[in-house]
Amino acid sequence: MATSETLMHHGAAVDGHRRGHTPADKTTGPRNLARVAGRIGAALSWLVVVIGALAIVLPFVWMVGVAFRTNGDLYADPSRLWPQQWTLHGIRAVLDQLPFVRLLINTFVFAGGTTLLLLLFDSMTAFALARLRFRGRNVLFLLILATLMVPFQVTLVPVFLTIFHLGWLNSYQGLIIPRATSALGIFLLRQFFQQLPRELDEAARIDGAGNFTIYWRIILPNAKPVLATLFIIQFAALWNDFLWPLVISSQTQMQTLPAALTLFSSQSGVDHAALMAGAAISLAPLAIAFLLLQRYFVQGVATTGIK
Amino acid sequence: MKGSVINMRRSAACLGAALAAVTLTAGCGNNGVSTSSGGVVQLSMLTGFTGPDEPAYQALVAEFNKTHPDIHVTMTVEPWATVAQKLPASWATGAGPDLATPSSDPGSIFSYIKTNSVLPLDSAVGSADGKIDAGAFPSAVRDAFTVDGKLYAVPANMATLALYYNKDMFTAAGISNPPATQDDFVADAKKLTVSSGGTVSQYGLSLADNQTIQMWPILQWMNGGDIVDGHGCAVVNSAASVSALTKWSQLVIQNHISPIGQSGADADTLFASRKAAMEINGPWAAAGYKSAGINLGIAEVPVGPAGPITLASTVPLMIERNTPHAAQAEQFLAWYTGKTAQAQFSQSSGFPPARTDLGDAVAANPTVALFAKALPYAKLYLAGQPQATSIDTDVYIPMIQQIERGANVKSAADSAAQKINQLTGCKS
Amino acid sequence: MATLNPSSRAAGGRRRWRFNTAYLFVAPSVVLIAVFIAEPIVQSGWMSLHNWTIGGSDNPFTGLANYRALWHDSRFWNALRVTVIYTGAVTVGQVGLGLAIASRLRRTTWFSSLLRTAYFFPFVASLVVVGIVWKFLLDPQVGLVDGWLGGLGFSAPQWLQSTSLALPTVIAVGIWKNVGFTMIVLLAGMQQVPADLYEAAMLDGAGPWRRFTAVTLPALRPALLFTTLIATITGLQLFDLVFAMTGGGPVFSTESIVMYLYEKGFVEFQMGYASAIAWVLFVVILAVSAVQLRVARNRDGD
Repeated sequence: MATSETLMHHGAAVDGHRRGHTPADKTTGPRNLARVAGRIGAALSWLVVVIGALAIVLPFVWMVGVAFRTNGDLYADPSRLWPQQWTLHGIRAVLDQLPFVRLLINTFVFAGGTTLLLLLFDSMTAFALARLRFRGRNVLFLLILATLMVPFQVTLVPVFLTIFHLGWLNSYQGLIIPRATSALGIFLLRQFFQQLPRELDEAARIDGAGNFTIYWRIILPNAKPVLATLFIIQFAALWNDFLWPLVISSQTQMQTLPAALTLFSSQSGVDHAALMAGAAISLAPLAIAFLLLQRYFVQGVATTGIK
Repeated sequence: MKGSVINMRRSAACLGAALAAVTLTAGCGNNGVSTSSGGVVQLSMLTGFTGPDEPAYQALVAEFNKTHPDIHVTMTVEPWATVAQKLPASWATGAGPDLATPSSDPGSIFSYIKTNSVLPLDSAVGSADGKIDAGAFPSAVRDAFTVDGKLYAVPANMATLALYYNKDMFTAAGISNPPATQDDFVADAKKLTVSSGGTVSQYGLSLADNQTIQMWPILQWMNGGDIVDGHGCAVVNSAASVSALTKWSQLVIQNHISPIGQSGADADTLFASRKAAMEINGPWAAAGYKSAGINLGIAEVPVGPAGPITLASTVPLMIERNTPHAAQAEQFLAWYTGKTAQAQFSQSSGFPPARTDLGDAVAANPTVALFAKALPYAKLYLAGQPQATSIDTDVYIPMIQQIERGANVKSAADSAAQKINQLTGCKS
Repeated sequence: MATLNPSSRAAGGRRRWRFNTAYLFVAPSVVLIAVFIAEPIVQSGWMSLHNWTIGGSDNPFTGLANYRALWHDSRFWNALRVTVIYTGAVTVGQVGLGLAIASRLRRTTWFSSLLRTAYFFPFVASLVVVGIVWKFLLDPQVGLVDGWLGGLGFSAPQWLQSTSLALPTVIAVGIWKNVGFTMIVLLAGMQQVPADLYEAAMLDGAGPWRRFTAVTLPALRPALLFTTLIATITGLQLFDLVFAMTGGGPVFSTESIVMYLYEKGFVEFQMGYASAIAWVLFVVILAVSAVQLRVARNRDGD
């Protein structure tokens, strides 16, 4: 709402500018007024956007603050954003009770391994769906889209039983393989591949290239930005996955960091510092990576073809 | 047999894992499935004791391992919600732990008995050495864990609820002793509620209505009310129940003695942050309040017209039906519930022992003695009800929440009673 | 494309009897989807026709009894209502606000880049962490929000304890979490609109609002469809946020379909009934998505 109004005011101001002013113009006063109103509107809309951004960031700042606050400090004045009495008790509680390094490695193996495998499988499928012809192509695409609509909880028990029968509980392959394809990834990659010029394939085919060569040598190198974007989206989703690692691995040694920390947090009772320290630590690696890479990410989304 | 197949697969998994990343051999040990290696039987045990009392359980397990060189128990701890999600499927497939506490709710054992996942313990029960001495359990617990004449679980812990109070607030309000009767309880709760201009700065009592150990049933019992009777028929709308619910909901709504809609954790935070003068809670809470600097008093729950009463809470510990090491698991349970172990556990955890014959052993610690004193009269919430979980989540909790928010007590209780009777099949 | 060259036509002819390598490309994903998604959902459909408990020794076939019970289950209808309200509000809020913010932050300066980063940041946090943090932020005793409101002299609203406020609060947090992602996707779409389209519109005397409705919005249609679809599908599957913030309470006022399904299946062990809920939800999501896609296609046809 605010934005559309300011755009309109702004528009009026531009109009006035283009027509120019003559002393005889009776509407000079209102036009000036409109210009001022436009300026005020623009300033207001910026203010709203900035306040919105603060509202997005503040909870995280507060979370980090609470992680270092003593309970007494928090109870004394909840309206303070930042601690007065500092304590490392929360961080220490987390590090003492969890095999931190081990969990970190697990998380990287799970999120990283799954994402890489997923990119491979999804891009292969998307390539076939976008560039090759085969019987059942459209039906297959619809079926894949339909799987987006299945809530995870629905399949939890049957999937658990399958993984049990495969003997994959508490193992990396049990964690990774069932998640190594995603309908969203196939969908996005297919969109992108469809936009690549057909001439690329045709030229290669004339040179005698087979499907695999075209996929590996021509399509994939052209898809680097979208693959990078998909990597980030999927990596973040898997990193943050909570229920899946918990169900597949019954031992702390095979759990992922965010899952273990969330459990830890949910059980810390009145120990707010430990609770928020757990939340903050689980967020930190992704947050740092995101802040370093965010510029590329925005560019990456621009190339996915969801324009 | 079953164990060895899975172990082969697991070693393969370990190999793959080791190839995938370097230093990853540590995590391929045993969990979930029992094994025996080098003559030592490995037992896995899954529990939900993630709270501050966890070290006391771990110490008990370590003590058992030390005194039983041929058995090694590994206790894994996960939140109750996670245990509840994993255990049904993992026990149904035989991939689960040998021993587990399925839920903090004793009623949960019915689900597992129905799914044939639990080993009946009858053959291991007896008063002889190395047997599970069920005769020494508090009778409420023994009854709750006995289904169709068979014992299916032992108490992994035993707790009763007591009245926690903030001594400084009592002094400030000019009250010298904790309330001993229901009338004093009501009067003190009002007196300890401090408000100015519509905002309450101090609540008399911190009541929770969700994700909590139940507090409201105590208020009903105190007055002679109850939720379900011994025949599975609802009595939540009996005159005594309705009058208790009316009294306390009025105190909450009109006198603001407690905030509305708190979870258990909220209620604890309220008390720990010195914004409530009293709370009904179990022995696990004491350490946290002391470290928060509360000048803490603990007393027995005040006595109403129905005589002394409080809520007992116990966590069932059960053996997987298909475990290949049933004998060793039973041996563990016998030791765990034995006199020595219970006395030790009671001292280190502050919980009362899960036996009624340890009077002298617990007398030394006044806090433990206080919680233990309530054992003979404490009642389990919805004890022995196969539909306990449904009654709790579908009926009782929503009813309390509605009453707290101003719903007509009588009609809310009537409709709750109707739903309970539908669930239990009572045709009254 | 209309004129196939001879070699590809020949290939087409041979396809009848020679193996098509396209199947090799789709094989890994198809196998994984078949084993870990399709088969389980079929199995859950089978369970929904039984009085099924996990590991139960006999799970009697009951036909459509679970679905009939569902039809008369007021808690199910309540959960459906909650889920639909949440999905509608979050989708509209997230796409509307995302669009507004994206058009404000369209030009790339250091300042707008900073704001974009801020808005996008919650994307990297898990819903469970977001739920835990917000639950504490809104805590009447220790939370920052009520601390500040108290400082301003307002009495603290019962954000998550009131039956009328809890759902709007969860909705607001849902929008808070997702608005940045929508914004980035729409921004990407906006930046791909050729600049000469705007110049042409300006020469025609179109003001910014006209340019927005006549140039930007039509060009954004695929991005809007994508974000709406994703928001709808994830909204209808609402679970983590409610699980962490309210557990479905108070008095079921925030209990979503998946939350109810979870309660029935994993707390009360009624897998048959839970599966029936799941199937109804699955059909609802399919239907809603199909309608959205159809609407989008019809508009494209104009």
